[in-house]
Amino acid sequence: MNQFDVVVVGTGPGGYVSAIRAAQLGLSVATVEDDRPGGVCLNWGCIPTKALLRNAEVVHLFEKAADFGITIDRFQADYAAAVKRSRSVADRMAKGVEFLFRKNKITLFPGTGSLTSKNVVEVKGEDGASTLEAGRAVILATGSEPKSLPGVTIDEKTVISSNGAVRNEAKPKSIVVIGAGAVGVEFADVYRSYGVEVTLLEALPRIVPLEDEEVSTQLTRSLSRRGITIKTGAKVSAVKPGGAGVVIDTDGGKLEAEQVLMAVGRGARTKGVGLEALNIALERGFVKVSPTMETSVKGVYAIGDMAGAPLLAHKAMAEGVVAAEAIAGKSPRPVDYGNVPSCTYCRPQIASIGLTEAKAREGGRELAVGKFPFTANGKAVALGDTEGFVKVVADKKTGELLGVHIIGPEATEMIHEFAVGRTLEATLEEMMHTIHAHPTLSEAALEATLAALGHAIHI
Amino acid sequence: MPVTKVVMPKLSEQMESGKIIKWLKKEGDRVQSGDILAEVETDKADVEMEAFGSGVLRKILVAAGNKAPVGSLIGVIAEENDDIGAVVAQAGSGAPAAAPSGAKPGMADRPAAVPPQPKSEDPAARKPSPSTGSESPGSRRVQDAVAAASVPQPSGDGGRVKASPLARKIAAQSGVDLKLIQGSGPGGRIVRRDVEAASTAPAAAAVAAAPALRPVAQPAAAGAEYEDLPLSPMRSAIARRMPLSKAPVPHFYVTSEVAMDRAWELREELNGLEGQPKISVNDFIIRACALTLLQHPGVNASFQGESIRVFHRVHMGIAVALEEGLITPVLRDVHAKSLAQIAVEARDLAERARQRKLRTQELSGATFSISNLGMFDVRDFSAIINPPEGAILAVGSVRRVPVVSDEGLGVGRRMALTISCDHRVMDGAMGARFLQDVKKLLEEPLRLLV
Repeated sequence: MNQFDVVVVGTGPGGYVSAIRAAQLGLSVATVEDDRPGGVCLNWGCIPTKALLRNAEVVHLFEKAADFGITIDRFQADYAAAVKRSRSVADRMAKGVEFLFRKNKITLFPGTGSLTSKNVVEVKGEDGASTLEAGRAVILATGSEPKSLPGVTIDEKTVISSNGAVRNEAKPKSIVVIGAGAVGVEFADVYRSYGVEVTLLEALPRIVPLEDEEVSTQLTRSLSRRGITIKTGAKVSAVKPGGAGVVIDTDGGKLEAEQVLMAVGRGARTKGVGLEALNIALERGFVKVSPTMETSVKGVYAIGDMAGAPLLAHKAMAEGVVAAEAIAGKSPRPVDYGNVPSCTYCRPQIASIGLTEAKAREGGRELAVGKFPFTANGKAVALGDTEGFVKVVADKKTGELLGVHIIGPEATEMIHEFAVGRTLEATLEEMMHTIHAHPTLSEAALEATLAALGHAIHI
Repeated sequence: MPVTKVVMPKLSEQMESGKIIKWLKKEGDRVQSGDILAEVETDKADVEMEAFGSGVLRKILVAAGNKAPVGSLIGVIAEENDDIGAVVAQAGSGAPAAAPSGAKPGMADRPAAVPPQPKSEDPAARKPSPSTGSESPGSRRVQDAVAAASVPQPSGDGGRVKASPLARKIAAQSGVDLKLIQGSGPGGRIVRRDVEAASTAPAAAAVAAAPALRPVAQPAAAGAEYEDLPLSPMRSAIARRMPLSKAPVPHFYVTSEVAMDRAWELREELNGLEGQPKISVNDFIIRACALTLLQHPGVNASFQGESIRVFHRVHMGIAVALEEGLITPVLRDVHAKSLAQIAVEARDLAERARQRKLRTQELSGATFSISNLGMFDVRDFSAIINPPEGAILAVGSVRRVPVVSDEGLGVGRRMALTISCDHRVMDGAMGARFLQDVKKLLEEPLRLLV
C-alpha cells in the first residue's frame, strides 16, 4: 500500500495542474497515467495540432511569397515531416510535465487507475499493480474521448478521429470532415493547406455554431475562398466503405472520399474509473461536481472534460487549482464558467468570451455593439493579413462587456484584454481609456470598443 | 516634526460620524503618538481615540458634545513654532460640527476669505491626495490636509469605497449607496452582484437614498399630536442595517420546543456550588449551539455571492438589549470554551455593552448569533439575520407548562427556539437537524459539561 495525501487519476492539463498545485500547498501527491503525461492536450490534441497548424501557415506564407516580392520557383511541403515535427513538439511538452512532477516531488504511477473505495486507487500497469491510498482526497481527471455517429465505427484508417489524424503521416487525397466545431475546422485547415480536397459537413445551420453568427459568416467566406467545400444543415445517415475509400450518405446526396474525419464532439471518459461502484452521480454523461469540484462522494473530486462543458484545457486547469486548494483547506474562488475564453486556431483564428450578440439580445436588453475590421488596422495591413474583425457586445445602459468575438490574425492572443476587463468588471469606458500601443493588432480591440460607444476613429 | 492632522476616525464599518464625548487633552498639552486624545461615541460603542503623531495639541476644532463626520478635521497636533494657520483655516470654513449634514463644501462654497493656496513648502498639498490607502485612522499628515479639505468626501464618508467600475455604474443608476454595501469580491471589493442584491431590495434602496435618517428632529410644540425624535447613532445604524438583511436575505424559520427541566435542575445545582460563576440559561444555550455548530458546519456558514464560506471556528454573536437599541458583541472561539468560561465572558461582554465600553474588534466577526428575549416572558419570536452570518437563533422564555407523558398530565419547563436561516446557505432540513441536536444537548445537559 502506497500512501499519499492526494491521488490524481489522469495527467492531462486538469490532472497535472491539480497535482502541482496540491504539491505546492505541501501535500504529498501521486499521479496515475495510462498514456503519457500531459494527457490528450499535450500529446494528441491542443499542442500537436498547433504544430500542424503552424506548418499550414508556413505553407500559406510560401504560397503568397510573391505578394512580398519574393520569387520561389518551386517548393515542396512534406506532410509526413509536418507530422514528425508535431510529434517532437508533443514529446517535448510531455517531458516538460515529467520534469515538473520531479521538481514538485510528485510520484507518477504508469497504468490504468480505478477507484476501489473512496480513498483507494488500484493501478494496473505493464510492470504490475499497485494500490494507492489517499489520505485526503482523490482527484479524477480522466478526460474525454472522441464521439462518433450512431452506427459508425472509428477504425482510424478510413474513418478517423482526431487521434488518428494527429498521428497519420500519410495524408489522404480527399477527406470529408463531419462536424465543423473547433476540431473539424482546424483539421480542415491543415489538410487544405497541404492540398487535400476537403469537404466540411455541419448538421447545424452554420459552421462553428457556438460562435457569434457574424464570425461563422466570416469563416465560411474565408474557408470557401481557400477551396474547402462547406455543407451546413447536412444530416449524415450512413458512412460505409466504398468508392475511393468511404461513401457518406447525407440528406443532400452521397459524398465520396478517401477518409472521413469524425469531429462531432467528445464524451467523458467515465468507464473503468470505478464511478459505478461508489455510486458517483453523473449528469448528462459527465460527473456531477460542486463549485469546489467535489463529486457526490465526499473526498472524491472530478475536474476537466469528465466534469462537463466547456471541454477546454484551460477550464480543466482552473478547476484543477480549485480542487487542489479546496483539498488543502483553502477557500478557492470557484471557476467562473461565464468567463472562459474559447479559441479556434484555424486561419483566420477565432477567439471569443461571454455572450454572442444573439444570446445577449435574448434578455431583451438594449445593446451597444461595435465592430472593427482588420482591413482598417495598420498592423494587419502591414502583415498582409486583414481578414476578420473584432466585435464587442456591451450593455447599452451600463457599458458592461457582455461578449467579445474576434476573428482574424492572432485573435487567440487578443482575447485576454477582454477577459481581464470582464474579470475586473470594467465597462466600455475603462476599455476605451486604456491606451493601446500603435501599431498593434490590439488597436482593433480599442476601435471596436469605441465603435460600441459610437465613435470609432479609424473607420 | 510634521504637523499632524487629527481627523474623526472610522471606528466601525458602518460609522459615518462620531460624537466627541470629551477631550482628554486640552489645547497646549504635549502628546505622544499613542496617547489617548478623546473619547468618541459611535453608532455602536464609546471608543477611545489615539494620537497618531507627537507634538503639542495646538488646536481643538470640534468641542466636546459635538458631532463630526468621519474623516473631518477635529484637531491639529504640531510643534509650538509650526504655522498651522493654513490648516486650521482650510478646515475652519467647514468646521464639520457646524456644517449642515449633506452640505458639500466644494470649491464654490468656500468663503472667499479663506486663503485658497497651500503653503509653498507643501507641494504635495496642491494635488488631490492619491494616498488614501495609507491613511491612518485618527490622523492624516498635513500634506494631505489641504487637498482633503478641498476635495470633500461625500458627507460623512471616511475611506475610499472599493468597487468595480461596473458596480459603480449600476449603483449610480439604481440609486444604491455603495457605502452601505458589503463587498463580496477579492478583498471586500464591491462587485456587480453585491449592488444587484442591494438594489433588488426596495427598502435598502430607499434607506440609501434617504438622508432623512440623519437626525432631523422637529421640536414638538406644546400639545402637538406627535413629536419626531432624533435617531441615536445606534438607532440609525439599526435602521440602515436591518433592511439590508431582511430584504436581500431570504429568511426561513424553524421552531422547536425544548424540555428544560433537567437543564434547569443542573443549573440550580451548579449555581449552588461555592466559588463557581453564576451560569444562566443563555450560557447553556450558547454552549449547546457552539458544540452543535461544529457538528453542523453548514449552519456556521456565510453566503459569499458565488460560494458559501463554512467556518471552522465558532464566534458567537450575543444580542444585548440596550435602552436605545441593541448591540451584538462577539464571543470568540466559543466552541473551545467551557460553560464556566462562557458564563464569565458573556457576562463581561454584556456588562461592557451596557456601559458602551466594547472594543471595536468585539463588535464584528460573528459566525452565528443568539438573541434571547426570555426575560420578557416571550413564548417565541423570530430574529433577523445579521449578515454576513447565515443564521440566528431566537430564544423564548423557559415556561412552566402542562406536559402530557406516559404517566399522565404533569408540569414541565419548556422553551421555544426559533432559528432564522439564510436560504441561500442552507435548507429547512439542515436548520431542523441543527435544532434537533441543540435540543438534544439541552435535554441531556450533562453533555454540556464534558
